[in-house]
Amino acid sequence: MGGTSTEQVVRTEGDVTTQRTWNVVVWNDPVTPMTVVVVIFKRIFGYPDGRATQLMLAVHHEGRAIVWSGQRDRAEYYCVKLQVAGLQSSIEQDR
Amino acid sequence: MAAGQRLFVRRRDGRIQVRLNDAGRSIAREAFGHVVAAERDPEHEWGATLTAPVDPTRDEDDPVTTLRRQQETSTNAELAVATLHEPYLTDEEAWAWLCTLQVALRATAVSRGLLSDEKLADAGDDVLGEVRTLQQFLFDLAECF
Repeated sequence: MGGTSTEQVVRTEGDVTTQRTWNVVVWNDPVTPMTVVVVIFKRIFGYPDGRATQLMLAVHHEGRAIVWSGQRDRAEYYCVKLQVAGLQSSIEQDR
Repeated sequence: MAAGQRLFVRRRDGRIQVRLNDAGRSIAREAFGHVVAAERDPEHEWGATLTAPVDPTRDEDDPVTTLRRQQETSTNAELAVATLHEPYLTDEEAWAWLCTLQVALRATAVSRGLLSDEKLADAGDDVLGEVRTLQQFLFDLAECF
């Protein structure tokens, strides 16, 4: 999973440019059961139980959590999947 | 519903047994129906929940993203409606139920202004009952995955 690096280096025939990473953010809400969030993270991202639970708790305690990082089109894809599963999610560019 | 027992159970053959009685299925039908209606009617009170932009710095998503979200949400809701009376669900059908019930739960909360723990605590019995019922469905269904 992305998230350890804030920039991806793209090399094309000698040119070096940078592309910022995009984050998928899930926001806390007062009604969604915790177990549902864990199941959705496991199903959409394929995360193991421990990782999914850790992210769910981060959302719960901090109000939001970055659940995936990488290229924009992939971030949009995951964000839509999360929204279709009923979670409040958005994307943001890494700073 | 079915008091004292789990509402959904994963069987050994992989199917998920639905233990809702008529009243429980009626609640599920209403939730699924609202999601289908909200996807078809841009003026539906749940519209804001279903069309929140992927990128909040933009007012709205590009048409491809909007269409993809709409199609996937509708497909799930319509599959849930089509399997409403089934005694057993496949994994894909149960996932469609879970997604559609979760969309219904959050849309109910947002449309009633239940955006914080404090607001939820102050909610009336009717609304709270509605929320708690959907949460129980989801809690038991999530246990099957």
